Amino acid sequence: MKIAARDLAVRFGGITALDGVDFELNRGEIVGLIGPNGAGKTTLFNCITGVVAPNAGSVVVDGADISNHRFDLRVHLGISRTFQTPRVNAHGTVLEAVMLGFNPIVKKPLFGSFFGSRSVRKAEADMESRAHNLISELGITTDPTKRAGDLSLGALRLVEVARALAAGPHYLLLDEPAAGIDENDQGVLANVIRKAAKDGIGVLIVEHNVPFVADLCGRLIALVQGRIAASGEPSGVLSDPHFVRAYLGDSNAG
Amino acid sequence: MSKSVGRNAGVLTIVMLGILIVGQGHSSLYATAITVGLYALLGVPLGLIYGCGGVLSLAQAAFAAIGGYASALLFSHYHLPPEATLLPAIIVPALFAYVVSRPILRLPEMSMALATLALGLLVEVVFSSSGGLTGGYEGVTGLPPIPIVGNSRVGVLLLVWSAVIICVYCYDAFRTSARGRALIAIHVDRLLAESVGIPVARELSLLFAITAGISGFVGWLYAHYLGYIGPGSLNVHLSANLLFMVVVGGRKYSLGPVLGAAFFVFAGDWLPGSAQAHGMVFGALIVLVLLLVPEGLLSLVQSRFRWKRVASRPIPQSSQLSPEQSL
Repeated sequence: MKIAARDLAVRFGGITALDGVDFELNRGEIVGLIGPNGAGKTTLFNCITGVVAPNAGSVVVDGADISNHRFDLRVHLGISRTFQTPRVNAHGTVLEAVMLGFNPIVKKPLFGSFFGSRSVRKAEADMESRAHNLISELGITTDPTKRAGDLSLGALRLVEVARALAAGPHYLLLDEPAAGIDENDQGVLANVIRKAAKDGIGVLIVEHNVPFVADLCGRLIALVQGRIAASGEPSGVLSDPHFVRAYLGDSNAG
Repeated sequence: MSKSVGRNAGVLTIVMLGILIVGQGHSSLYATAITVGLYALLGVPLGLIYGCGGVLSLAQAAFAAIGGYASALLFSHYHLPPEATLLPAIIVPALFAYVVSRPILRLPEMSMALATLALGLLVEVVFSSSGGLTGGYEGVTGLPPIPIVGNSRVGVLLLVWSAVIICVYCYDAFRTSARGRALIAIHVDRLLAESVGIPVARELSLLFAITAGISGFVGWLYAHYLGYIGPGSLNVHLSANLLFMVVVGGRKYSLGPVLGAAFFVFAGDWLPGSAQAHGMVFGALIVLVLLLVPEGLLSLVQSRFRWKRVASRPIPQSSQLSPEQSL
């Protein structure tokens, strides 16, 4: 059971963002996707989640070709994602933000929703307690009744991860989850990711913070100019001369 | 949260009973209250799709006109009684809205307003220039009264206001349901909504069609209450005024459009001068409201209850937050 992308190519006008990329993510493993700015990390990520349609190649999830599936359908196949800039309703509470994540697995009868039927109210109360459980299970210490707009970036990223996990995904795709957050939140985040993988979820992390992913991931994929420059064990990838040159520059001055 | 769902509907029920009692001595109050009720019945669904979903529609009166005309034409051409035309009056505008909504609802808010405005104008032109089929500019007269309540003002008042109360209840129940959260998510950020598996286009079309169906019901009520419907009765002017009511009353509250409708009708009665002059006053007023109380008049009342908890602090952009900012 895995996500397998074959020979993906994406072009934006004259720019080639991805150029024949093969990619695999198994359930239960943590894979890091690294590379300099503009290497195509987010494009690859968006191809898998369906925000961007590839010009060539295919994305297969658990044996089913989903290359042409709409974005909103993929979460129903067990692919959850977060965003580089957290997207939440700033006026809503933390609890509501997490509850939104249950959307793919909760029944939403039209008339029941309008007339506040008993089954809808029960499902609502159910979801509320499950969201509370999820928040405390993940070690998120933020008050669930707080407005999402009042949270720090780190807390917001954790809330997004909780929302992504609420749907009970098989694959969790995180877009720069550790960017701009303090070490304490990074620690909580790392624990959440390890726990998810232990529960059999395949986790893909797009990240600039190389020490963070190197520590967490069993496998790293380094993208440079839309192609895979190196992949494999973190130590091997980080010492790969081809990748080091692209990432740090020839002078190695950084 | 779920306990307060019926609160606004309860408040409105008390208001309705108050009107019934006070109106005993002032018979003109009933007619005014019926007008307020009809506007509110158009405004509350608009408040839901605009306030929660960001769908800025200037076609609501057109949907009401379609409903009213559907009933009137079925009566004048096929002699169907209002009992039999009620369903078509609701379903025809709902279907029409569903079909036209797909391309329109994809647009950003302002373009959406313009597209629905064009739609409203189109409907008006079709009804006024279809000659013998729709009665042209003269419209259709001699329609039978609303079934059961007949010509009784109290009866019509009870019917219209009961419908408003049900709408307000449904609005509140919907907003606190998973589907309501989905609608708010669509408004906040469509990409966010899609990432949690919400079929944005289908959901918006469905809700838009429901508001059009309710508008069609208002058109049916209107046509059989007055016994007449013409191209000028439920026109684009009314659509614009409905938006005025929703915004002035408070587009984020179920009772906002009701308050806005009452304000609009009473202000129209008391202001001196012609309807054109009123337009000027209302125009100035909407600017004032948007500048001073952008959430609408009802936010003044609501904020007194919640003043301490949610101080009107500006919402920081998430990207500007530093990790240290934990409050």
